Amino acid sequence: MLLARLSWAYLKKHRLRWALTIAGVALGVAVLVAMRLANQAVLSSFQRTVQGIAGRTQLQVHAGDLGFPEEVLERVQALPEVAAAAPVIEAALDTGLPGQGYLLVVGVDMTGDRSIRDYEFDSGEEAILDDPLVFLAQPDSIIVTREFAERNGLGVGSRIPLGTAQGTRWFTVRGIMRPGGLSQAFGGNLAVMDVYALQYVLGRGRRFDRIDVALREGISLEQGERALRQALGPGFEIEPPSARGRHFEAILRSFSLTLNITSLFAVLVGMFLIYNSFSVAVTQRRAEIGILRALGADRSTIRRLFLSEAAVAGLVGALAGAAAGWLMAQWVASYVGRLMQEAYGVVQNVEGAPADWRLLVGGAGVGVLASVVAAWIPARAAARVDPVLALQKGRHQVLSAGEYRVRRWLAGVAAGGAALLLTAGRSPAWFYAGYVLIVLAALWLTPALARGLARGLRPLLAWLRPVEGGLAVDSLLQAPRRTSATVAALMLSLAMVVGFGGVARSIYDSLVEWVETTLNPDLFVTPNAEIANRTYVVPAELGAEVERVPGVRQVQLVRSARVPYQGVPVLLVAADVAKLARTVRRRPIEGDPEDMHRRTAAGEATIVSESFARLRGLRVGDVVELPAPKGLLRLPIAGIVRDYSDQQGTLLIDRALYRTWWDDDTVNVIRVYLAPGASAAEVKRAILEQCGRGRRLFVLANEEVRRYIFRLADQWFGMTYNQIAVAILVAVLGVVNTLTVSITDRRRELGLLLAVGGLRPQVRRTIWMEALAIGLIGLLLGLALGAVNLYYSLEMTRRDLAGLSLDYVFPASLAAWLIPVILGAAFLAALGPAAAAVRGSPAEALEYE
Amino acid sequence: MIELRQVWKVFLNGRREVVALRGVSLSVRRGETVAVVGPSGSGKSTLLNLIGGLDRPSRGRILLEGRNLAELDDDELALVRREKIGFVFQFFHLLPTLTCVENVALPLHLRGWSRRSAEARARELLALVGLGERLDHLPEELSGGERQRVAIARALAANPPVLLADEPTGNLDTRTGAEILTLLADLHTRLGTTMLIVTHDAQVARACARVVTLRDGQIVGDSSIQGP
Amino acid sequence: MSRRGLIAWLLAGAAWAQDARQIVEEAQRRSRADSERYEGTLEVIDARGRKNLKRWIYLRVGSHGNSKAVIRFTEPPEVRGVALLIINHPERASDQWMWTPATQRERRIAIQDRSTRFFGTDFSFEDLEERDVNQYDYRMIGEDEVEGALCWKIESRPRKTRASQYTHSLLWIRKENYTFARIENYVGRELVRRAHYREVQNVQGIWTPRLIEMHDIRRNSRTLLRLEKLQYNVPLKESEFTLQALRRGS
Repeated sequence: MLLARLSWAYLKKHRLRWALTIAGVALGVAVLVAMRLANQAVLSSFQRTVQGIAGRTQLQVHAGDLGFPEEVLERVQALPEVAAAAPVIEAALDTGLPGQGYLLVVGVDMTGDRSIRDYEFDSGEEAILDDPLVFLAQPDSIIVTREFAERNGLGVGSRIPLGTAQGTRWFTVRGIMRPGGLSQAFGGNLAVMDVYALQYVLGRGRRFDRIDVALREGISLEQGERALRQALGPGFEIEPPSARGRHFEAILRSFSLTLNITSLFAVLVGMFLIYNSFSVAVTQRRAEIGILRALGADRSTIRRLFLSEAAVAGLVGALAGAAAGWLMAQWVASYVGRLMQEAYGVVQNVEGAPADWRLLVGGAGVGVLASVVAAWIPARAAARVDPVLALQKGRHQVLSAGEYRVRRWLAGVAAGGAALLLTAGRSPAWFYAGYVLIVLAALWLTPALARGLARGLRPLLAWLRPVEGGLAVDSLLQAPRRTSATVAALMLSLAMVVGFGGVARSIYDSLVEWVETTLNPDLFVTPNAEIANRTYVVPAELGAEVERVPGVRQVQLVRSARVPYQGVPVLLVAADVAKLARTVRRRPIEGDPEDMHRRTAAGEATIVSESFARLRGLRVGDVVELPAPKGLLRLPIAGIVRDYSDQQGTLLIDRALYRTWWDDDTVNVIRVYLAPGASAAEVKRAILEQCGRGRRLFVLANEEVRRYIFRLADQWFGMTYNQIAVAILVAVLGVVNTLTVSITDRRRELGLLLAVGGLRPQVRRTIWMEALAIGLIGLLLGLALGAVNLYYSLEMTRRDLAGLSLDYVFPASLAAWLIPVILGAAFLAALGPAAAAVRGSPAEALEYE
Repeated sequence: MIELRQVWKVFLNGRREVVALRGVSLSVRRGETVAVVGPSGSGKSTLLNLIGGLDRPSRGRILLEGRNLAELDDDELALVRREKIGFVFQFFHLLPTLTCVENVALPLHLRGWSRRSAEARARELLALVGLGERLDHLPEELSGGERQRVAIARALAANPPVLLADEPTGNLDTRTGAEILTLLADLHTRLGTTMLIVTHDAQVARACARVVTLRDGQIVGDSSIQGP
Repeated sequence: MSRRGLIAWLLAGAAWAQDARQIVEEAQRRSRADSERYEGTLEVIDARGRKNLKRWIYLRVGSHGNSKAVIRFTEPPEVRGVALLIINHPERASDQWMWTPATQRERRIAIQDRSTRFFGTDFSFEDLEERDVNQYDYRMIGEDEVEGALCWKIESRPRKTRASQYTHSLLWIRKENYTFARIENYVGRELVRRAHYREVQNVQGIWTPRLIEMHDIRRNSRTLLRLEKLQYNVPLKESEFTLQALRRGS
């Protein structure tokens, strides 16, 4: 207890520094917690929707986004194991009501659906369930939730507009569902329609998305699944509703992996702040430690003292961080939700992120643990303080030559190990171990490098300001512990910036190439407002109509949809490959361009994206087995190309093959090439005039699609950039912290400067120079480690994230941009400490011990 | 040269007021060497800091060549220090990373001297204090006496009219202390600098022409003796 | 929709000590006709006294177990044109399709839960199905009088081969003409639905109740089904009982 008083006294004396340190931990934890909470919120909102809609469904039969012909329903219903089977189509439609965004419309067959789902209506509308005649007879019938009705002032008989394949149509509310169960799905923005009416609305043929199955009593899930599989063949996925959450998770995972890594970096940077503060504290409290030791405290008591301080500081930071993280998560969740919607067409309605105690406590635990681990070395140093030496005045502890040697040695071993691991094997474990080793090597080398660089900087700074520059560098050299931890924190965050910035840059470059070689039609005609959305389809005949429009040279029909491949949704693109081969100029990564197009056009093979092949270790010649409603479609890979249509990979097949195996002749994008001299704007108008009547149709210019793709990319990287900004912020906090410590440590020295005739501006400039020096050293080391990190980040992107092999291009412009930013930030960080340094009388400073 | 009139200095020590100086009046002529003696806590160092413009009095006037230091702001005080004052401290306060020359040249740098002329002057001064051989040594390589010589050289670097020394021999053994005293006396004769030396070392006091005795923040004795 | 399981005829003055099963078989035999057409009025009166009226035209061909029927709704206006095609099979549940003119397409109705109500009436789908005599066991309870008519009171229990929402039913069959007078359906001891058959008329030699009142005890709701312009053995082609015909909206 008495010892706690000592800690408290020290803490009170250095309030600002501890506040900064704790803020560092808090930010790290906040980012971590926010990401996890948000991810979880997005996932659980998805699952709530799935479950809410699933009702009593035990198994779901589906075949990806493409759906399957209606006849399948009868085959399912005929099975003796099946108690009830209900067809479903789900689509998120634009409500056209101000501020309401998407309405998830669930198409069901009211005549039999009650055996799967409970519908509870507000009193007086029971009749719809028992007498769906009116509901079914009028295809404009729609049932909404009470929540949605109240938000929009709707009642039975009210009309709402919805975008349909035939343009905007008005629907009549014929029922209002009570809250609970089904109504909870999609945050209440849910409506129920007749499944056949919805087919018509979406322009889909006689197809369902899904069949929800309830099994007869006494039939186990396994038995039911086996029976269904046997009856339907390999072209269908038969899974419990919870599996949809797993698929969604797979999509979310690649996005969250980057975020998790950046969160960890943020925590790591926070750890350096803790390490820094404790190192300084140990140095400053040497006398105190000496007295305690002289009074009989043993080493473990001293160590415990510092570790408990770390735990308490960590706890305070972690709790604040967890709370802040929870607040941040609210915003992040809707961001991620929007992104999932735009990038994948998986429409989300995420309303905030509920506090998950396990996650919050876990995040806080990480904070405390990180804090204790970071304080471990300083605490050990404290325990080793020699009481006799400590009580002597005026002696400062500096890193011994031996310590430098040990660290250099460790760094050498780690770097060597990393190099060895790179050549040794391809397994992910080796790769990531090498990554960790390289970072460790950099950290161990930091003190020596920082010292060397500081010496090297001296002439430059001395040239700038002879006295202040020299003093600033000396201050850095005097206290390697204080300096190198901050430099390390800066280095880590900058390495992260360079790594991710480089990846982003490469992806942008690669995207540009893709857009130019592949996405090169002049116009895209689609029934969906966004190119990634595949809710609406149009009949193939529209292609011929468009081709007849004057100014159109050629059209290419495309039907794309996500289909399950080995449990993960991948993008199937069915197009006129023969035509495509003549307009698309991309060079394959593997395979012969002539041959691959010829075989694919003939329906004998498929061309897959690099991501598809890499993530699954496939090469040209390997056979892909694609489940289709007509059976298992086996196609050899004829070529591997770069394609960014989908993160999990893309498969290109010929449309004729698609028609046969999927029994579907619809199209969702028509690629239009113009005749020479035709004006895109005029042809667009002509297409809308001649083909758009009574149809939902959008004509997007190449430029619009391009903008859309880059906006998506921006959004994709946006979250990472935010996190990096947080990490830099933490590192800058570290600079503030170091400078605060530095001026406390050097109070007497600064007082002396004033005493021997220094003016206050000169002292201030010394602090500024010190900050600039730290910034510059951090910058140099950060850019260097960043170059290495970029290599690992690109490898990671290739191996595990996206399956993309990207060119290594150091983001020079980003680096150039970082220089003023970091130096500016360092300068700003120095303003406060510099002002504090010249406050108060020099006499006091001189007496300060 | 230096004139103190009814100078009071009150420190706040926690909630307790500590009166360090209670109405001290003192007048020092140009070129005088004054020893300020008294038991520890009598206010000697406070007096020195006030004269050196490191601190301001709570009440009263301190005139240095006719300017009242009590009325100056921090920056003006700093300028006064720069122009008029050289400090020597008990614990030397040398910058550990600077060599002797650099330490001595420091005040000149701060005054905007070029590196070359500052270092030339520093070498000259170091020779003057008898350290012409150890110019490029770091403070930690020097003995206590040598360090104090460097500090004295630094104090004199800008040729200040007033040298203030706070227990200059306090951290040195008797023999080294004596050497420092001799050096100070020698410098005084050569440069004619006005010197105020705070000490509780009788040997030091004896070496000065005038001894002012402080007790509980008041001057209780002021005796002039004929210099050697 | 068929009423054949519900409505039966019996020759007047049949033997007193007739076996329960024979009585039900006789009722079924007497109601036999090759085809049928009527215009139905269906009035649902719920517990709060609110009324809901629907009209349809009913056509049937074929007889017991192999019949086909088409129902076309004529009122209310919102459902006009909606049609149902029902194809009964002797050994399995019937196939049903529904035609909605607004979307110009038919849908298959999968009656997976036959205890659900038939389009908002107090009849369940099961109540309207043909009941094959052979799928039940019968027991004579005795004699009873229903609305002035002397009846046999017979208990029927579904055999294991037949899944039913009811555990047993009580049938009252008029001795005078072998028509049903009343049916009570039970789940355990609880009376769930009670049907009354009234206004018995001889139509083309077949004694037919022209008004059926079904009372859902739990919901306290009643449905009155009135048969108008009833004709038996009208000339109807099999081709009118197909999906194509349904689409044509003949």
